[in-house]
Amino acid sequence: MLTDSDREEIHQEIARNRRDRLSFVREYTEWLKKTPNAVWSKQHAKFLGKK
Amino acid sequence: MELDYSPEKIVFNRELSDLDELVLKFVDILHRLDISYVIISGYIAILFGRSRGTEDVDLFVEKIGMDKMSEWWFELEKAGFECLNTDNPTDALNEYLENNTAIRFAVKGTWEPNFEVKFPTSKSSHYSMENKLVVFLNNRKIVTSQIEMQIAYKLLLRGDKDLEDALHLYGLFKDKLDHSLLRLHIQELGVPPERVNVLWEIHPSD
Repeated sequence: MLTDSDREEIHQEIARNRRDRLSFVREYTEWLKKTPNAVWSKQHAKFLGKK
Repeated sequence: MELDYSPEKIVFNRELSDLDELVLKFVDILHRLDISYVIISGYIAILFGRSRGTEDVDLFVEKIGMDKMSEWWFELEKAGFECLNTDNPTDALNEYLENNTAIRFAVKGTWEPNFEVKFPTSKSSHYSMENKLVVFLNNRKIVTSQIEMQIAYKLLLRGDKDLEDALHLYGLFKDKLDHSLLRLHIQELGVPPERVNVLWEIHPSD
């Protein structure tokens, strides 16, 4: 049985994860901007699927 | 990322994914038939490097009549696409598009990814159609709308994925954007302050 405190902890964890994801998006765009197209797009195409 | 940017045109070259190839195949038909369109939303973030999949590619297509619809339908079928909603162009136009309901096209025998096509109806969709951004990817054209509008609209949408797309586009283009225009779109669309604040919290120096 979850207590109010347990639930609060879960909500905080979800908020923390969300914030981490958004910060990661910023870090990823910073990496993209300084990385040659040939490098990032090779990974990108592989991730998205490429025949 | 090397790209030539202006508010109306972006030129860049990169390796293409299967999704890019499919989008280029779909829009090539629209170019050939001289049907005006803009691709909006998730694919545009992906086009500029966002690493996520998508089940649909959203686009507005100018209002067309039955003759043009039939011609487009024929060309889509010839290129291996099929409509997921109906098996004839008359229904597609009269029952769906004219009733402000999207129609979806996918490669025959598949459901995803699919192209979600709508006529512009809202003021913001008309604005997107009137304020195009032409992207030349490996010398092939994809038409989208102004990045400032796409960021503002993505902030308005409720999903985490949309917020991340907005942050991605903002992070990538923040040195090139018209920030007063972005603020104007945010204000006009009525983006909730808590969504806008996330943008400034993640990019505090802006």
